[in-house]
Amino acid sequence: MKITIALAGNANVGKSVIFNRLTGLHQHIGNWPGKTVERAEGTLFHVDYTIDIIDLPGIYSLSTFSMEELISREYIAKEKPDVVINVIDATNLERNLYFTLQLLELGRPMIIALNQMDLTEKKGMCIDIKKLQKFLKVPIVPVIATQGKGLHELVHETVNLVKKGYKKPKIEYGKEVEEEVWKLTKTLNKVKLDYPKRFLAIKLLEGDEEINKLVKKVDPKILEIVEKHAKDIERIHGHDRFTVIASERYKVANEIVKDCVSIGPCKFKYSDKVHEITTHGFWGYLIMLLSVISLFYVIFTFGNFFSDILVEFLINLKPIFDQYFGIGIASSLAWGVIEGLIAGITIVLPYILPFYVILGLLEDSGYLSRIAFLMDRFMHKIGLHGKAFIPLMLGYGCNVPACLGCRIMETKRERLIAIFVTTLIPCAAVTTVILGLVGKYVGLNWAFSLYVIDLIIVFILGRIAFKVFPGEPTELIMEIHDYRMPHLKTVAKQAWFRIKDFIYIAFPLIIACSFIIKVLDVTNLSESIENLMKPISVDWLGLPIFSGIALIAGIPRKELTLIILAAHGGTTNFGTILTPVQMIVFSLVTMLYIPCIATIAALVKEIGWKKAMFITVFEIVFAIFVGGAAFRLLTL
Amino acid sequence: MSEKTVALINLKEGQKGIIVSILGGHRVTQRLMDMGLTPGTEFKMVRKGRLCPVEISVRGSKLAIGCGVAAKILVKVKE
Repeated sequence: MKITIALAGNANVGKSVIFNRLTGLHQHIGNWPGKTVERAEGTLFHVDYTIDIIDLPGIYSLSTFSMEELISREYIAKEKPDVVINVIDATNLERNLYFTLQLLELGRPMIIALNQMDLTEKKGMCIDIKKLQKFLKVPIVPVIATQGKGLHELVHETVNLVKKGYKKPKIEYGKEVEEEVWKLTKTLNKVKLDYPKRFLAIKLLEGDEEINKLVKKVDPKILEIVEKHAKDIERIHGHDRFTVIASERYKVANEIVKDCVSIGPCKFKYSDKVHEITTHGFWGYLIMLLSVISLFYVIFTFGNFFSDILVEFLINLKPIFDQYFGIGIASSLAWGVIEGLIAGITIVLPYILPFYVILGLLEDSGYLSRIAFLMDRFMHKIGLHGKAFIPLMLGYGCNVPACLGCRIMETKRERLIAIFVTTLIPCAAVTTVILGLVGKYVGLNWAFSLYVIDLIIVFILGRIAFKVFPGEPTELIMEIHDYRMPHLKTVAKQAWFRIKDFIYIAFPLIIACSFIIKVLDVTNLSESIENLMKPISVDWLGLPIFSGIALIAGIPRKELTLIILAAHGGTTNFGTILTPVQMIVFSLVTMLYIPCIATIAALVKEIGWKKAMFITVFEIVFAIFVGGAAFRLLTL
Repeated sequence: MSEKTVALINLKEGQKGIIVSILGGHRVTQRLMDMGLTPGTEFKMVRKGRLCPVEISVRGSKLAIGCGVAAKILVKVKE
């Protein structure tokens, strides 16, 4: 027998941990149709049941604040999963119950997974589960997802619920509101929509735009009646309609918590002390600076070392390859394809993978949200808020997952600005160029300056983008979770999904382009390209003629610029073919001049052709301008 | 309790207050309500440095709020 269940809950309550534990390897991650929101689906085989599990996005409400909220409620109402499992954080009951109450309004059979039961004890609180069950009138299963405790019972209860059937609990709000809801439900009697009447009535009173639209299509007169009822409520309570309804829900949530949770004497909490220091006005920034710098230092020293070994190993395959396929045009082209593959691997394994694993650990432990807190003020200067810092950090690994990571921004406009500045962040590949050229031959302080210059450029361009794209910036309103031990499986999975973006989008393009460049090489077309590029490369940027093709080679993957530079300059000792100024200009242009082809693909996917092309062309022109300006400044 | 209402941002670290109303647009109001800052809710200013955002504790958890928003939340100070 087939059952479909949906996991729903706030962000950071352990939903994904439960999802992973239940579905293991039987997972499918995609997007919701037509939306840039991730959809995770998996299968669990339990006795003779095949259970399909959908992991809905982590949200705080079922209103229209974000795409995630809309998708979740539409899914539950339209697809009607057999059971909705509401995962709630036992240590943060009140806010979680606010969401639970809304889920109950949707009327699907429901079970509550009361997660993080191990932490309630540490927090010195005691939850009376029986009492809680009495209030909510749905099955409640205490679980500790990270240890896998209670999950068997959860599945068992789910199956039971399907077998035995479900009795819709009704939780009542205040008298005045209930009266209006009741009247409205009667008016809605003839309206046939996917949503339950009570949900519709409450949403109409709340002033929900989407539901308003739906009902208007059926019978515009109803909206007039709603307006009258809503006005009544606003008059009685003295607040706007949304506030009134939210207050009602929180009132119920608060009463439940008061009755079911008893708080013992709080022990000294280590994580609170850590929280205080890491968000401190001085120490917080110092710790942030130190941790970010050491993160980069560790990743790039380790990466460099590891990547050298890898390259050496893989390049040794060349003689073997030649032995089998001989030396000729065809085999040379084929080697181009392999070179692309090698280049991809030598970027992913030594740099991007460890970077994303460590970043994932910081994220899951809760430290990244502290950084978001600290960076909020700076991000506001470019029209974003603190959370945008997270995709920016991802950008230092690879721009592709970073662009996709901008989905955490709430509005389209913020997403666009965040994506734009993200493409200006030097990724791991660019860093290898900067370190290999400027760092090695000019000096580390110059390499470091390039990063600082990049940040200044990000800031200035971000600020301009902020002025150009109209709209009010969304302010930061973010929950700060307690610190916790990162859950390794979740971290590993997260890292894998980010790298998967790179592999699926970037790898094929990298390989195709390596092939094309080989073709150019073999057919001697590269020389004519170099001549074509001369006005820009030699006359404007002051670079040697062979750098033209190297810059073109950076379009598929930026680290290729260095390899081509060596091939066409005839040596890997760049000190003999480039002056320090040329190295700096070259690195600067490489850093800024284009989102690489994989990033362009990601841009198209996220913001559409037109904007992607605009950003691409802009960055090419801008990089050439900055490069030329730098050349003139440095040779004054 | 004093009857004067002030913006949330004016509270000092450690001070407690009660939410009175929000002077924001629909989106901001909606978000704050969803996060539990409904009128009448008690909260505590946990952190307010020279830098933004501020941090408050409300309904048993911590919230970071940008200063722009914090200036639009009207509260009563609890002595």
